[in-house]
Amino acid sequence: MEEAVRSGSWSADGRLAAADDATLVTACAQHEPGAFQELLSRYRRPAITLAYQMLGNSEDAEDVAQEAFVRVFQAIPRFRGQSAFSTWLYRIVTNLCLANRRRRKVTVGLDSVREPRSSDSPSKTVTQALVTRQVLDAMTPDLRAILLLRDQEGLSYSEIAEALRLPLGTVRSRLSKARMSFRQIWNGLSEGGEEQS
Amino acid sequence: MTCRLYEEQLSSYLDQELPAARVARLEAHLKTCQRCREELEAMGGIAGQLRAASSLLEVSHDFDKRVLRAFGYYRVTGWQKPVKSYLRPLVLAAVLLLGMLAAMWNFLTRPYEPAPQPAPAYSVGAPAATGAPAPGVPERERRR
Repeated sequence: MEEAVRSGSWSADGRLAAADDATLVTACAQHEPGAFQELLSRYRRPAITLAYQMLGNSEDAEDVAQEAFVRVFQAIPRFRGQSAFSTWLYRIVTNLCLANRRRRKVTVGLDSVREPRSSDSPSKTVTQALVTRQVLDAMTPDLRAILLLRDQEGLSYSEIAEALRLPLGTVRSRLSKARMSFRQIWNGLSEGGEEQS
Repeated sequence: MTCRLYEEQLSSYLDQELPAARVARLEAHLKTCQRCREELEAMGGIAGQLRAASSLLEVSHDFDKRVLRAFGYYRVTGWQKPVKSYLRPLVLAAVLLLGMLAAMWNFLTRPYEPAPQPAPAYSVGAPAATGAPAPGVPERERRR
């Protein structure tokens, strides 16, 4: 595969989709055009989703994800591969989100939420999504970030430690705190909703 | 140990990150404490809640194009390597200069076309056999 990257013969024969992230990063460093698009197609949605759950606004989320991808692509020639591409990308997205939230007050909205096509009751699904967003918004940014990296993006403890530049023990304790905080706020909102209805 | 202290271990236990020495004690507690069992189950459901919420998010159809444009790639007729931003004014200046040179070359090398002369007020027949120039013919043409 590496040889194919060097010779530039691989993009036309459909091997891009089968390549792992590290190979695609190598191809990007050599300005193999399809490699950028393949990485985008793999991580477009996770990056935007992470940003959206952090910020609560889809336009800001896309702006942040776009900025993160541009930074990553520009820095790819200098990327040494000490961490996974995904960890690197998520770190940049998280940092941009934290900076963004510091700059402006974020309001909760379901501006980009569409009605689901599943057989579930649409209103119930959307309502639960709204409550989840409210819970996330009520959490502190640090707790929200670690919860999303673990429970939404599925990063391991060591990957989270790399992404957030935290000791492993801190990841363990902060994640526990984040989950307890999520549960506490969720229960509070559920009880409040029941009282109102 | 109180439930509160066990609760702090539930998250690591859920991810199989709890040190082995504590696992046995926590599992013994879980057998007797319904509240902690319910809390463990609820924590395990957070991932599903987050994914369900994010699955409703719609991504703009032109997101990739915007990223690649911002990065410096353009897809018009095919992929092109990005032009460094500081080179763009130079490229633009070179294109303008080439355009000006082409216009000058075109102006200097075009064939001569005499300006149209007003028709004489009188009619003349064929030029005289003496070789006298016909009226209205420019001096340059007369020499040919």
